[in-house]
Amino acid sequence: MIARIVFLAALVAIGYLGFVRRNRLPVNIMLLFVVLGLAAVAVIFPEEMDPIAQYMGVTAGVDMIVYLVQVGLLFVSLHFYTKFVDHQRQIAVLVREMAILKAELDQSRRGTASPPPVLQPHADQRARDAAE
Amino acid sequence: MDHRQITWVVIAAYNEAAMIGRVVSGVLDDGWKVAVVDDGSRDDTAANAAAAGAVVLRHVVNLGQGAALQTGIEFALGRGAERIVTFDADGQHRVEDLPAMVAALDDADVALGSRHLGGTEGASSGRKIFLRAATAMSNKMSGVKLTDAHCGFRAFRATIAPKLRMRQERMAHASELLGLIGKSGARIVEVPVTIRYTDYSKQKGQSPLQAIRIMFDHAFRR
Repeated sequence: MIARIVFLAALVAIGYLGFVRRNRLPVNIMLLFVVLGLAAVAVIFPEEMDPIAQYMGVTAGVDMIVYLVQVGLLFVSLHFYTKFVDHQRQIAVLVREMAILKAELDQSRRGTASPPPVLQPHADQRARDAAE
Repeated sequence: MDHRQITWVVIAAYNEAAMIGRVVSGVLDDGWKVAVVDDGSRDDTAANAAAAGAVVLRHVVNLGQGAALQTGIEFALGRGAERIVTFDADGQHRVEDLPAMVAALDDADVALGSRHLGGTEGASSGRKIFLRAATAMSNKMSGVKLTDAHCGFRAFRATIAPKLRMRQERMAHASELLGLIGKSGARIVEVPVTIRYTDYSKQKGQSPLQAIRIMFDHAFRR
């Protein structure tokens, strides 16, 4: 019983953080509440999950939920890993741009700067990379 | 023909304050243009490189050797370089090999230094075996058949540079670069070079265990 209360409290907390604290798009909110609702049903009536699980080829509802959580966690991990790599590349583009601009500035102060038009195509290329 | 006026030597450096001044001076004294990319060093690398006369580009955070080289390459392209050389900051590469590397581009798009065609000074037999094994694996993965796949002494024409844009920030850029060269259809030539392994360069260099991380980066971070 305590476990159910803990799980339901966790679902309420997630709903609060996802819905009240953040200004998400409606479709995300709806999807979130469908998932939370299904999770709440699974917590309150775990035995009701058994027929669904058996229909899907899993022995028990609890096992099915564990499998779904595993798949969900894998998806979330990959999603954030991809985001992490993207952000690293964007940082690299920004740091590179800063380094080149600073070097050009230093050189121009010494009167040895290159003409700006030569730099332009590469700046565009970097911008395209950042947008990818 | 003297290629010094159309060539930029790009040196990526991270915490190389002890050696970078000597390396830059050696290259500049031979008449080459030098761009040093200080990859967020915590020591006086940038100051020492600038004092030696190099153009210094400074990454405000450490991004890795691949990203640093790419920064130097883009700067050199912006400066109108027709030929670009990548050169190590730890004193492993010899200035005496620079003219042959750059001249090799007369008949090729990419010139790759090979310590197996040239020589090594101070390399342990273990390192030689490791390098041979790494080259065999790299040849299989990249499709480019080389005698030395991971020599950082490279030269290429500016016209091929857009096809060789590295996205791997860290050490996996070497394997990535070979893959890009293979796909680009560039004319490749290997040039004999001598690599000097000193106590300093061995201390700064890659440990064979880092090969595992490089393989991970190469496999998953494309």
